[in-house]
Amino acid sequence: MKNKYIFIVLTLGLLFGLSCEKELLTQADYTDYAFAGIDEKGGSWKPILLSGASQIVIPAPKDVTSDEYKTELNNVKLAMSTLNTAQRETIAYWTNNPILRWNEIALELATKYNLIPEPNADGSYPVPDAANPGKYPLFPYSHPPYTCRALAYLSVAQFDGLISAWNYKFKYNRKAPYEVDNSIVPAYAKTALPAYPADAAVVAAASRDILIAMFPLEKDYLIAKANENMVCLTWAGVNVQSDVDAGAIIGAEVAKVALQRAGSDGMKRAQTPRAISDSIKTAALNRFGWQWDNQESPVRPVGLAPLFGKVKMWNVPTVEEVRPPVPPKPGSAEFNVAVQELKDVTKNLTTEQRKIANWWSDGLNTYTPPGHWNRFAKNFLIKYKFNPLRSARTLAYMNMAIMDAGISCWDAKYYYHYPRPIQTIPGFKTILGTPNFPAYTSGHSTFSAAGAEVLSYIFPAEAQQCQTWAREAAESRIYGGIHYRFDAEAGLTQGKNVAVYAVNRAKKDGAE
Amino acid sequence: MKNNLTRIFLLVLSIGYVGILKAQTPSDDLLMQKREFCVALLYDAGSWDQYWEGTRLRSNANIGTFSKKALTSMVAYGITNKINLIATLPYIQTEATGGQLKGAKGIQDLNIAIKGEIFNQQVGPGKISFLATGGFGTPVSNYLSDYQPFSLGLGTNEWSLRGILQYRFDNGIYVRGAAAHLWRGQTKVERDFYYNNGAYYSEWMDVPNALNYHASVGTWLFNSALKIEANYMGLRSTSGDDIRIYNSPQPTNQVEVDQVGFFAQYYFKTIKPLQGFGVIASYSKMIHGRNMGQFQNYGFGITYQFKI
Repeated sequence: MKNKYIFIVLTLGLLFGLSCEKELLTQADYTDYAFAGIDEKGGSWKPILLSGASQIVIPAPKDVTSDEYKTELNNVKLAMSTLNTAQRETIAYWTNNPILRWNEIALELATKYNLIPEPNADGSYPVPDAANPGKYPLFPYSHPPYTCRALAYLSVAQFDGLISAWNYKFKYNRKAPYEVDNSIVPAYAKTALPAYPADAAVVAAASRDILIAMFPLEKDYLIAKANENMVCLTWAGVNVQSDVDAGAIIGAEVAKVALQRAGSDGMKRAQTPRAISDSIKTAALNRFGWQWDNQESPVRPVGLAPLFGKVKMWNVPTVEEVRPPVPPKPGSAEFNVAVQELKDVTKNLTTEQRKIANWWSDGLNTYTPPGHWNRFAKNFLIKYKFNPLRSARTLAYMNMAIMDAGISCWDAKYYYHYPRPIQTIPGFKTILGTPNFPAYTSGHSTFSAAGAEVLSYIFPAEAQQCQTWAREAAESRIYGGIHYRFDAEAGLTQGKNVAVYAVNRAKKDGAE
Repeated sequence: MKNNLTRIFLLVLSIGYVGILKAQTPSDDLLMQKREFCVALLYDAGSWDQYWEGTRLRSNANIGTFSKKALTSMVAYGITNKINLIATLPYIQTEATGGQLKGAKGIQDLNIAIKGEIFNQQVGPGKISFLATGGFGTPVSNYLSDYQPFSLGLGTNEWSLRGILQYRFDNGIYVRGAAAHLWRGQTKVERDFYYNNGAYYSEWMDVPNALNYHASVGTWLFNSALKIEANYMGLRSTSGDDIRIYNSPQPTNQVEVDQVGFFAQYYFKTIKPLQGFGVIASYSKMIHGRNMGQFQNYGFGITYQFKI
């Protein structure tokens, strides 16, 4: 009998234990919200790529008194009267600021495709092929340069599209369905924003087309997502179909403009053949007397995106003007100090330091450091209840700065071609994997300082927090054993310097 | 039947580059008598140079040969003749010959189990017995479960319920089967975003539950001084994801193992100064797996039994 009691106790213990399990979020936990402001003058802000807010043309809307509009309004009411639970959940998912969801979708795809190619049986390495994306290794390999670029185009297209939308909203001033017919109770917080064209449809269409170009294997998924986002607008009672259609036109057109730039920004040449990679390495050896060599087995013959440093920058005229100074020569006193620090820190790593290293590792199969900063930005956008236009502006300037920081960082990495700690310190072991590119400067530090600088400008009250995060991200690479302190320090300065160009442009775009 | 008492649970199942079972789980028919203690020190050395990425067996030159050494202390105590308490605590060290990643070392999980005999009776030319074990394991150091394959363990609590059925012929030959359900909790990792067939925004990872099977055929020889046994162990996670191509494993992975092995235990019954002592040797090899290193393990141990 005793056994029985023991097992009863154990079973109860089990049930108690399992009931303590945490709910694991798969997306940001937020709902629709009332915007802190509606930026009536948003249509006059200066776009990034478009010549102006009326470069993209949409038809003038029918008046709310027209038969066409009344039919559309009735369709909205009909759809709203028959919504099922799944439809209501979909409406709740998208919210009235789908900028946040599309950014989240982009981060998830970046994570999914952030896998480094494995070697072939003969020790060579295959390279993803944009012309044949479904063949292993799948295209893209969304490493940090790839991801920061995808996010920049996504955010810029959203921003320019919304400036265009704001222009027409206040030009035509067509009211939202719930203002035309007060029997309609919208699913989202009411706003004084005119409804034509639907801002969310701009975001959905632009995001869909940019992300299809960046993640071609996800085309069907992205089309379905965009359709879902758009249909929610009538279900939610915030737009009629012609609002949505006009928004979709702007979204598709602005994506074309952005993708035209992307097609000629130099990214296609960033991952070089072996011969070019070798010549870059030799140039560094001749110039400085050192070179970085990949330490993997088998050796990867080409580093990650050697010519990403040549990609067209958004806001910095020439990459050379933000290039950091020459790092200390291996074997020099300054170098030896950095090496000694690395040895000491990694040998006596505290629990806190280990956590910092892992917290910021943002390596393979993650959203990378640019993704991490987009996550921070989204949390602020929600906290400060930014409308979609101002949200897009924040992300556009931040992601342009982060991409420019990445370009500048990669320029330094391959110009200086500086060896990693595992190459210069015999027998050195680390808790983080060493990436397949040179050490100087630290990408984490550069990306993070740039992200922090823009977010500090947009959210002055969060500046302290952002700078603390950037500093921690930089330090994390020392704790992880994969960067010298001078990589991190130079990266922080470099990222900040690069971001100043974006902030200076933002200050003059008319939004202040 | 004093010799019956010392025989303890020594399938050292420190399988898994993640230490899937954390430590051996009592899965045999043996019980200590009331107020009898058995203490043991077990050493187990496991290694692999290939692992299953999903179901594909592969090598990785940046790991080379992976090794895991475990030194486990164990104590078993007879609360009554029919109910035993067993506790184990392993110290584990992991390292790899290839690549630049640091190994890990430290104390892993404390496991406590209660084993009870439900029935035991003569049927034909032998005895049939049925036992049940309830166990609980919990990490006792702050090792990181999200540092695969070097992690010391899964970093979460584990509850287990196991049924053991044995038929032992009067001549010493026995066959035994055991089946268990392992309930695993969540493990706290040092990041708040990860991928598990989709994005997760959490510091916690779900560790899949698992089913665990054992089957053995063995015999007692030399007046029950020596036990030799051939055995099989199977593990099946009931959910989880696969390791992605050339990516690291993580605690959320769906793990499967089929492992065969041998086991021998000798009791110094007649050598006066060594009375109470026993020695153990074991060998096992994984023959099929999923999201797991193909371990081959050698184990040695010493046991000592006494009464208070």
